[in-house]
Amino acid sequence: MIIHQDIYIKGQILLRMNKIELLAPAKDLNKAKIAIMYGADAVYVGGKFYSLRSRASNFDLDDLKQLVDFAKPYGARIFVTVNIVFHDDDYFGIREYLKYLESIGVSAVIVSSMALIPIIKKETPKLECHISTQLSSMNSSAVNTLKEFGADRIVLAREAGMDEIEKISSQTNVPLEVFIHGGMCSNYSGRCVLSNRMTLRDANRGGCAHSCRWKYHLFDSDEIISNPNCLMSMSSKDLRASAYIQRMIKANIASLKIEGRMKSEYYIGQVVKTYRKMIDEIYEKGSLDEDRLNYYDNELSKAENRPSDDGFLSGDCDNSKHLYGINGAGVSHDYVAYVHNYDELKSIAEIEVKNIFKKDDVIEVFGPDIDNKQFKIEYMFDEDWNEVTLANKPTQILYVRIPFKVKNADMFRKVSIS
Amino acid sequence: MEIIVTLRKKELLEKVLPVVDGVIVGKDFTSSYHLSLDDISYVNKYCKDNNKKVYIVLDNFINEEELNSLKEYFNFIKELNVDGIYFHDLGIMDIAKNYGLFNKLIYDGKTVLCNSLDTTFILNKGIDSVVLSREITLKEIKDIIHCNAGKVDLQIFGHLRMSYSKRKFLKNYFNEINKEYDYLNKETLYLVEEKRDYKMPIVEDGNGTYIYTDYVLEMFNEICDLKTYLKRGIVDTLFIENDSLIVEVCRDYRRISQANKNFIIENIHHNYKYDYSSGYLYQRTNIVKNEQD
Repeated sequence: MIIHQDIYIKGQILLRMNKIELLAPAKDLNKAKIAIMYGADAVYVGGKFYSLRSRASNFDLDDLKQLVDFAKPYGARIFVTVNIVFHDDDYFGIREYLKYLESIGVSAVIVSSMALIPIIKKETPKLECHISTQLSSMNSSAVNTLKEFGADRIVLAREAGMDEIEKISSQTNVPLEVFIHGGMCSNYSGRCVLSNRMTLRDANRGGCAHSCRWKYHLFDSDEIISNPNCLMSMSSKDLRASAYIQRMIKANIASLKIEGRMKSEYYIGQVVKTYRKMIDEIYEKGSLDEDRLNYYDNELSKAENRPSDDGFLSGDCDNSKHLYGINGAGVSHDYVAYVHNYDELKSIAEIEVKNIFKKDDVIEVFGPDIDNKQFKIEYMFDEDWNEVTLANKPTQILYVRIPFKVKNADMFRKVSIS
Repeated sequence: MEIIVTLRKKELLEKVLPVVDGVIVGKDFTSSYHLSLDDISYVNKYCKDNNKKVYIVLDNFINEEELNSLKEYFNFIKELNVDGIYFHDLGIMDIAKNYGLFNKLIYDGKTVLCNSLDTTFILNKGIDSVVLSREITLKEIKDIIHCNAGKVDLQIFGHLRMSYSKRKFLKNYFNEINKEYDYLNKETLYLVEEKRDYKMPIVEDGNGTYIYTDYVLEMFNEICDLKTYLKRGIVDTLFIENDSLIVEVCRDYRRISQANKNFIIENIHHNYKYDYSSGYLYQRTNIVKNEQD
């Protein structure tokens, strides 16, 4: 178990250290567990209702309870998104839902409906009320307004620059949450309904069709002025704020948020682990030199499925921060297997195949307690102990000889093809 | 219900003022309308001399570094003694208090005010009124305004803002394709998605980029049922080049009744060729992806 920010005795939290929070997304229970095991201080998830990202698997009520129970010994907190832009009939059952979340020990809800703040404060006072980035808070006056409404934490807009974040933080005692990694809306969150017009899917109620990533012809009156070989797109590169973590810590930001409730367990594991180690190293050494920053950037790039940059943190977003000719995220095939068990006596790991690999491939193992340790695949067997030379059936269980100890939730990625 | 109109250019003022109750004006960095301070002062005096109302619009988000400029602008607004201030950024509520202008605030969240609870919540803070989201149905509008009669505005005509970005989409695109082009504040540009044929106006100013609906919302058919409950109906003039249409629309909204509405609709549609639509009044958007998508 990673002991990232708290001190534990026998799995119970003894002392919470005052470190910046690392907040990770999760699409389902397994990914939420991965996020916690790999070092997230808190995980945010969506329920079956009231949550954006409708295509994410999302959690039913039992899953939420299981997750809270799983998180407890790690000292990790669970936040639940209630962040759709509500229409009147969307509120049906919300009070009961909030009471349930409070009863099972969820720590906070992330809301975009201002009217929910006093309801949460009055009826479910143990739940913190975090204001979603859907409200695009990007100045200290907006933070003051929301504080007066009763907000316990405010997620700043991704359009705020690092200088501005520092200024805002210096002028408020409301905990602030800042996005540091992942996909970016190219428009202000909550203020884009392109999807509503073009697909009748409500962008602000979980149906966003990502119309900003489509390609468009540009006209001036009746004259076409776009380049047919490079049509216009609003698609933005992903955010990677690794170079700003030290400043965020110094600025007393409460929480660093990773985007990606649709992402894979590999992405979650790799990104969470990298930022976890980075944050811990900054606290331990006081700063990071360029070599270490490059190391962490390289680690983050292993999970990258869309080019990334620092977004508005460094100021304006010019054309180098846009994607032209690429509609969406690619899928990394480097992630090849997930470890279920390890038999120390036989040095055999039980793994689940995720992507194709074969005998003699060099594999890098990473996990909560293991850093990029490599070995060569020499022996692989299926469940009937037949030797396998090509692992090409996703979800198939195989057994692999590994010369060092691994454990459940470690992951394999391919580093070279023999 | 008052009929008020946005002034996309000063020259529209004298033409439209006789047929409206007031005008909405804005300046750069705080809004998508770009009158100068001198123009706004002129409009304010002209309206007051003619017993018409003046509203300031602040329909942009404000960066932290712009707060000081915004406070200077508030000094200017206070001196004008305008009738109301449309705002988009919740930070304006914090600032307006310090200028004694809180009770003149009108919240226009554009896309995010879609329900009765949020409407009542923000009105109870003591602001003047709100503008409902354009993405809700007629039934939803009726439900909300019945709970908050006389405190709600609605955009009743014009293109609808579909997206708002801090990113300079046009500038960046022309840089990407190495093309020099005069694009800033230009209202003749539009986008067409490669698999669709909607012509969606796009405009970029110093604050970022805005994309609007291909169609022009008009709700002559519905307004008779709503006007008792609404505080103001807003006619938006962005991208509407034909001033005669604006004048006629404003006049018609003021005089419309059940008896003449069909005549008014036919007349407008016949004389002014635009793609008119009832927007989302009868078209509910889906919460999730359809099977066929």
